[in-house]
Amino acid sequence: MIQKKICLLGASSVGKTSLVKQFVEGIFNEKYLTSIGVKVDKKVVNVAQQAVQLMLWDIEGYDRYNVFQDKYLRGAAAYIIVVDQTRSTSLIEGLEIHSLAQKANNVPAILAINKSDLQANWHLEDSKTIQYQTLFNAHFNTSAKNGSNVEEMFQAIAALTLQEQ
Amino acid sequence: MPKDISISDQESQQELEKLRQIILGQDNQLITDAVNKKARGIVSDVITEAFHDRQKKDDSIKKVLLPIVENSVEHSVTHHSDRLISSLYPLMGSLVRKSVGAFLTNFIEKTNQLIEHSFTIKGLKWRFKAWQAGVSFTQYVVSQTYNYRVEHIFLIHQETGLLLKAVNLDQQSQNDAELISSMLTAINDFVGDSFQLDENGVKEQLQTVSTDSFNLLIKPGPSAIIVAAVTGTPPQAVNEQLQLTLEEVHHLYQQEFNQFNGDNALFENVDTQLNDCLLTEEKPEKASNQKKPWFAWLMIVLAILFAGFKTLNWYQLNTLHQQIMAIDHEAGIVVKNLDVHSKHLISLDLMRDPNALSVQNWFELQQIPFENVVLKERRFYSLSPVIIKQRVDKLSANFPDLNFDWLHEELILTGNIDFIKYQQLTAKLETLGINPSEVNRQNLTIMSSDVLAQSNTINQQIFKDLVGKISTIQLSFTSGDDQVNQAMESDLLQLKQQFLYLSSLANKLNKKVGLIIMGSSDNTGNTSMNNALSLKRAENTAIALTKLGLDREQIFVTGLGQINIKDVKNTARKVMFNIIYIDDTAT
Ligand SMILES: Nc1nc2c(ncn2[C@@H]2O[C@H](COP(=O)(O)OP(=O)(O)O)[C@@H](O)[C@H]2O)c(=O)[nH]1
Ligand SMILES: [Mg+2]
Repeated sequence: MIQKKICLLGASSVGKTSLVKQFVEGIFNEKYLTSIGVKVDKKVVNVAQQAVQLMLWDIEGYDRYNVFQDKYLRGAAAYIIVVDQTRSTSLIEGLEIHSLAQKANNVPAILAINKSDLQANWHLEDSKTIQYQTLFNAHFNTSAKNGSNVEEMFQAIAALTLQEQ
Repeated sequence: MPKDISISDQESQQELEKLRQIILGQDNQLITDAVNKKARGIVSDVITEAFHDRQKKDDSIKKVLLPIVENSVEHSVTHHSDRLISSLYPLMGSLVRKSVGAFLTNFIEKTNQLIEHSFTIKGLKWRFKAWQAGVSFTQYVVSQTYNYRVEHIFLIHQETGLLLKAVNLDQQSQNDAELISSMLTAINDFVGDSFQLDENGVKEQLQTVSTDSFNLLIKPGPSAIIVAAVTGTPPQAVNEQLQLTLEEVHHLYQQEFNQFNGDNALFENVDTQLNDCLLTEEKPEKASNQKKPWFAWLMIVLAILFAGFKTLNWYQLNTLHQQIMAIDHEAGIVVKNLDVHSKHLISLDLMRDPNALSVQNWFELQQIPFENVVLKERRFYSLSPVIIKQRVDKLSANFPDLNFDWLHEELILTGNIDFIKYQQLTAKLETLGINPSEVNRQNLTIMSSDVLAQSNTINQQIFKDLVGKISTIQLSFTSGDDQVNQAMESDLLQLKQQFLYLSSLANKLNKKVGLIIMGSSDNTGNTSMNNALSLKRAENTAIALTKLGLDREQIFVTGLGQINIKDVKNTARKVMFNIIYIDDTAT
């Protein structure tokens, strides 16, 4: 089976862990997130009758020294930058991480604008932010709470990794 | 990705440099010495670059150098082992020296669980045995069945952490192997990063993760990592096999590693190599393991039998205890303590009247074996009627002229008795526990002794005894009462006999005697009434005695009135007796 390593990146509390949880049922304790800064889950998705096993690396945004943990990005086929639509600062941080990640591993990336079930504080379609769309292969307005667009987003990233080969 | 390749390139450069130093000597000294002096300058300028270029071109340097390197390393190991070990040790012992925290334990537990789940029917059997032995399942597997057992082999892609192939000892697919592989890689990344570079510039990597009963052996290679999950303590042979397999896989699958895009189908056949690593070493005494259930069942049966035997035994001992305890009802025997430890050890602690049935006889009568009894017997004087009767029976042998009969608890004496003998008899009866006043003496005739036959000194002594005895007699009256009643009868009878005897002795001793009867009263009521009451008591007593046959002439009666002695004044309702005696010679 084809397996792909996917990383979830973003400022803290934007909903990375929640998104993975919404999507999969894992076996590992959340303790790994705080102790080593990463937890891996997996999920098989089908892209045009082709099964792809996604290995989802949920990465704590920054370590305690405030250094981006690019080591976990090694070997990733794509990554998702998660931002919170109720906090505009999360977009700034997400973009920063995105540029660092591109330097470390130049692979496709998706922007997940999460917490779509809540009142938005900013919109990607705003004149100021619309330019950022182009930095990503795709973007989704997701909600880890009600599951909206979660499946679609992971489907899209699986498709991206297959295209890239 | 390009960045990563260049890093690993750098690392291999560094390693190569070190090897060069060891093999070729400082500044390639060894090589240059071996080459023509003229060529030395030319070659030394280009040798490094030449090596590099040629290696890049057709990979031939490696082939040429490999045997040399191997030989040299071998040589180094024998001659400079200290140097080698000090540069290899940080790689090997990193985890041992530095703790990576609690999450590792958690990780192992998780993997442990998975391994436990992977056991099938065999697993169930082991589980049962572990339960029997009261240890954890894993512990049991490790300690009882195998010295070690390689349960799983994971081949993991170095760069992505993706699982290329997993093989299991129990032909069962491992569902979570992909997750474990990725997590392991993540942990490995984490550890490598945390430890930074050591003084030799080599990045430390996780080599083993261990708990008491479980080990993960991790062998990193340039393109793939091989991981063995081992229960028990793996010997060095396992490490060596892992290393061999890793090298073989790298050798055979170089192409596939380069092409890898996440599709592990490329590595479908790698299990041929990986299976070599599924080593186990069973404990030699496996045969005895198979006997174990029998042994356990035997133990259970024995335990049940033992419990049954214990219960029966307890019941038997309890019955025996009750049987022996019946000795307590035997007259003149009081059991203080009885311990029936077993049929063969009975300790009995009792008090026994000398007249009572001997303990041994009692046991014989009850048909209980006596030889197992540890007897502690103490003497005591029983007042049990049966024993008293026995004592009286014995005593009766000394008084052949008398009949000793019993009407219920009452002793009836019949016959004629000499006064002195009678005195002895009453004294004896008293020591046997019989109040002489309770003895029926109606058919007993007490005859005066032949006092003449006795010597003066003896008579003198008996006389004094009698005086003393008479003065110990007291009659008690209830408040305001002056009548002589039935209860006083026997005292008066005794008094009469004693006084008659005393009179005859007095004759013999030339003495004159008189009986003084003194009445007293308590201090309720007025003095004159009390004087009168006390006198009346004394007079009534005198009348009673005369009726019994005493001579009124020999009796003096007086009323003492109230007895004003602090301790007795409230209860002094008495009649007391005393003897006045006068020596005839004194007149
Ligand atoms: N309403 C809402 N809350 C969310 C959503 N996703 C995450 N949260 C909440 O945001 C908080 C942080 O989420 P978490 O997944 O831990 O963020 P992480 O730090 O990025 O992993 C939690 O309290 C979540 O319940 C969402 O889509 N909608
Ligand atoms: Mg999280």
